[in-house]
Amino acid sequence: MSDFLLTQIINYGAPVLGMLVFIGALGAPLPGTLLIVAAGAFARQGLLAWHTTGLMALAFVVLGDNLSYGMGHFAREPVLRRFQSSQNWTKAESTFARWGGMAVFWTRFLITGVAVPVNLIAGTSGFGIRRFFFYDLAGEAIWIFGYGGLGYLFGMQWEVVSEFLGNVSGLALGLVLLGLGVWLGIRQWQVVEARKANVPEG
Amino acid sequence: MSLKTQRMVVFGLITAGVLLAVFFGIRAAFAFREFRRHGAPPFSPLEAKNHQPAETDVELIREWMTIPYVAQMYQVPPKVLFEALGLPPSKSIGEKSLKQLNDEYFPQAEGLVVTTVKAAILEFQAQTFPAPTPPPHPTNIPAP
Repeated sequence: MSDFLLTQIINYGAPVLGMLVFIGALGAPLPGTLLIVAAGAFARQGLLAWHTTGLMALAFVVLGDNLSYGMGHFAREPVLRRFQSSQNWTKAESTFARWGGMAVFWTRFLITGVAVPVNLIAGTSGFGIRRFFFYDLAGEAIWIFGYGGLGYLFGMQWEVVSEFLGNVSGLALGLVLLGLGVWLGIRQWQVVEARKANVPEG
Repeated sequence: MSLKTQRMVVFGLITAGVLLAVFFGIRAAFAFREFRRHGAPPFSPLEAKNHQPAETDVELIREWMTIPYVAQMYQVPPKVLFEALGLPPSKSIGEKSLKQLNDEYFPQAEGLVVTTVKAAILEFQAQTFPAPTPPPHPTNIPAP
């Protein structure tokens, strides 16, 4: 799959890259980071113009992200009908309103594996579109120009960079899941302890 | 959500997190070692003038590359590579990857296209950019 996509980028340039990152932002399982790093290397080789390619990719990926946010937004009504009365839903909504910006930002370039679910949750939970757009644009700019810049820096040896970044992304996802699990575990333990303390003795 | 389900969710998250962190952590450490070993190649003065220096390491050739792309990277006329493969130079063939060419024209010989392209580049570069002669030994330099 990656090989086929790389061949298409060297044949047809920036528009293909833009289309691929757009489709990836809608949820298709494409190796986005690998393509961005490779595109940076192609720019150094004079095959792509870094500024137009970078801006085009940024525009397409932000468009894709906002469309998947929109999908979540349109699913809000049925989700609310089902869960509105649930205390957990209200809690989840307020948690996302508080931390959603950071979630959107970091999942653009570091924990990319969960970027699309975050877009959908942002749309469904009523996270503001302007805030979403701002964090999305900032995170994607780092992804495109930061990672692409590393590809540019390493030129023909871009595969080493791509391999490293892909593994760091997996490691970050593992640490986030672990942290979330520990946090939930501690909260659960506190609730159980509080219940025990409230039970009258005898 | 019952307490039992909550405990299962927590257990699942911690297990998945540990497994992912260990697996990718080890891979990231190895990748980082490679990353440091290679280092970024320096920019040549030619690149500052938008002139790409010819690549010489043929081990960087991959199956997804096309003939025009390889020709540009190694500054070899595409005609030389098409001739080495015995293929007519055309746009449609030029848009196919080296693997596609191998599968289509040499299905019996796996990896033949990449090997042939590497050999053709090395031969062309040896003729065009001869290896620099070593500097004379200090003892052989005649006194002024």
